[in-house]
Amino acid sequence: MRIAGPSIRQARAERLAPYVLVAPAVLIIVALRLWPLALGVNFSFTGDGELNGTPVGPANYLELTGDPLFRIALRNVGLLVLLLPLAVAIPGLLATFIYLRVPGHRVYRSVYFFPAVLSPVIVGAIFNLMLGYDGPLNSLLGAMGAGPVDWLGDPGIAMFTVVGVHVWATFGMALVVFLAGFSTLDASLLDAARVDGASLGRTIWHVIIPSLTRTIQFVFVTTMIGMLTSMFGLLFVMTSGGPEGSTYLPEYYIWHQQGQMNRPALASAASTVLFVVMLVVGLLQITLLRRAGRQD
Amino acid sequence: MIAALALAGCGSATRTESPSGEAQQKQQKLVVWDWKSGEPVAAAYIEQAKADFARRHPGVTVEFVAQPFDQYYTLLGTAIQAGKGPDVMLFNGGGQIRDRAGALLPLDRYVAEDRSRLAGWDAFSKDGKVYAAPVTLQGHPIYYNKALYEQAGLDPATPPRTWSEFLSGCAAIKKATGAACFALGNKEGFGIQFFLSGLGSGVLTPQEYDDWIAGKRDWASPGVKRIFELWKDAGDKGLNNDGANSTAMFTDVFRVFETGKAAHIIGLMSDIGHWNDFKEFLPPDKIGVMQAPVVTDGATPGLPYDGGIGYAVAKWTKAPDLAADLVRSLTSTGALTAFYAKAGAIASDTTIDVSQAGPAVATIASAIKTGKPALHVALSSKTLDVMGRLSQQLLSGSTTVDKALEQLAASDRKG
Repeated sequence: MRIAGPSIRQARAERLAPYVLVAPAVLIIVALRLWPLALGVNFSFTGDGELNGTPVGPANYLELTGDPLFRIALRNVGLLVLLLPLAVAIPGLLATFIYLRVPGHRVYRSVYFFPAVLSPVIVGAIFNLMLGYDGPLNSLLGAMGAGPVDWLGDPGIAMFTVVGVHVWATFGMALVVFLAGFSTLDASLLDAARVDGASLGRTIWHVIIPSLTRTIQFVFVTTMIGMLTSMFGLLFVMTSGGPEGSTYLPEYYIWHQQGQMNRPALASAASTVLFVVMLVVGLLQITLLRRAGRQD
Repeated sequence: MIAALALAGCGSATRTESPSGEAQQKQQKLVVWDWKSGEPVAAAYIEQAKADFARRHPGVTVEFVAQPFDQYYTLLGTAIQAGKGPDVMLFNGGGQIRDRAGALLPLDRYVAEDRSRLAGWDAFSKDGKVYAAPVTLQGHPIYYNKALYEQAGLDPATPPRTWSEFLSGCAAIKKATGAACFALGNKEGFGIQFFLSGLGSGVLTPQEYDDWIAGKRDWASPGVKRIFELWKDAGDKGLNNDGANSTAMFTDVFRVFETGKAAHIIGLMSDIGHWNDFKEFLPPDKIGVMQAPVVTDGATPGLPYDGGIGYAVAKWTKAPDLAADLVRSLTSTGALTAFYAKAGAIASDTTIDVSQAGPAVATIASAIKTGKPALHVALSSKTLDVMGRLSQQLLSGSTTVDKALEQLAASDRKG
């Protein structure tokens, strides 16, 4: 019986130890992440201006659903989801070519990565000049006999222009992730495919894509998050949300309402919606890709 | 120690004792937020104002924090939300200050002596109370390029007086020089504001104009509709430079005018977008200022202007008397003369002599007495925002004038 005392204490200590060890991390997450998040959500149920601080129920959310500008912002999120495969395929294909050692692959590796070190403001300023109505690209088109295109002033084109520039500026990072994924690829599979006389297309489809499922998953999710949360700088510099609000994204909408329209509570409601959208889109992507990976 | 340092670093201007008179004497520091004090052209102005204030309050230091303009109202919004921030802050006249009047101290009793010396108070007032003292006057004169007029065989000394004369002049200029009629930058949706205010006095009758400013706005009236039709027509008939919806106002469009690619621009008269800015390419004697061409009978064109920028005092300041006194130093004749001399701004002080600054300034200064507040300044920020987007839709043809006016009327009623 005397032995049982310390052993019970020891067992209890062992049971508690994980909680004690995890506690600081949990406290930090709760205090610095979840608590501010809860405060933000709570704030979204209060009013702006004269109603500052007064609970208004779901009024802000109702206003958001009726605001054509916010609807455009959400529609553009849908557009980004549709364009996402393209944004992942470009670095994926280029990384494949580099891995398969096309001539000059070392040069390409650094050239492709180079824009990733430029600030979005610089990239935006450069492309503003290039894509201006009387800019060099339109001069080139004019010389070739094609009419000028208002790349940033036509509401049907501007969003595609900005997404294109964003992909150009950021695919270097995804490329590096793909190259890292390639380093784990089993070279004997590629050799076997080569011996069997598989074409480049078949090699990519049957060997490279299945082997890189996890990498592709990772790039999909990070590219999506990047598109939804890091395009602010480009939008700000290139289109200011225009023309006609056609290039609004939720993030830009939040900034606009908070800073320019003096509506912080409405902005909080929009951020809560953006948070939920990101969560849902992210989880859906992971589920879909995991399922696709299993089939292969 | 780190905590102590952090606390010291986070301290603000308003940290000292209670707001009693004695506490104000102890207050050692006032913090000012603006977007001007970092600019070289404003350096002499800020120095003058500081010196004036230091003479009267030798124990008080004043710290100017220059914020980037494109972030200014975002930062200020956060400070207002938190209920702490600078003691004194700069505002644009109109919606920007009226929307935030709840966070500001009424200045009426402090600035009583300055009321007659300075102009432009209306843009900083709400419900009969003054919330900031004007530093500059902001207006929207129509500048024209005299050299292009000469090349097209027009007399630069007698600019067109009616809309039809204006259009035929533009056609002649286009034919002779290839230059567009208007330099228009509407990327941010600001172009329509300049157009509405710049040309409005030539379209609305004086009664309609005064009603608009007084808040009795009839968006369905023929006059208002005419202004928006002109906007659309100007786009459809190619009077504007190409790609107006993707041309930025402050970085690009003034360059279009300066370099002779357009004959007219509805510009500004405070410290940017005016003759002093244009002179890099366009010498002052080649810049003319004209009144709005008359579009409808009975309209009497005049210079549209308001208070441009002005300094206000935060409600939360612990030293309201000191802060208000600093505002008075920032609008003293000495300081404003320095601002006018260095930046070319039309300052709010009507006693400053501007006779040496060239013909454009002389024309503008002579029009101040008969001028009226600008039409767009009377609108709320929300309505201006909606108007910006609708104006882009009008230019690209994706909405009609009637539909746009309906939406504007709805926004104006709410806002």
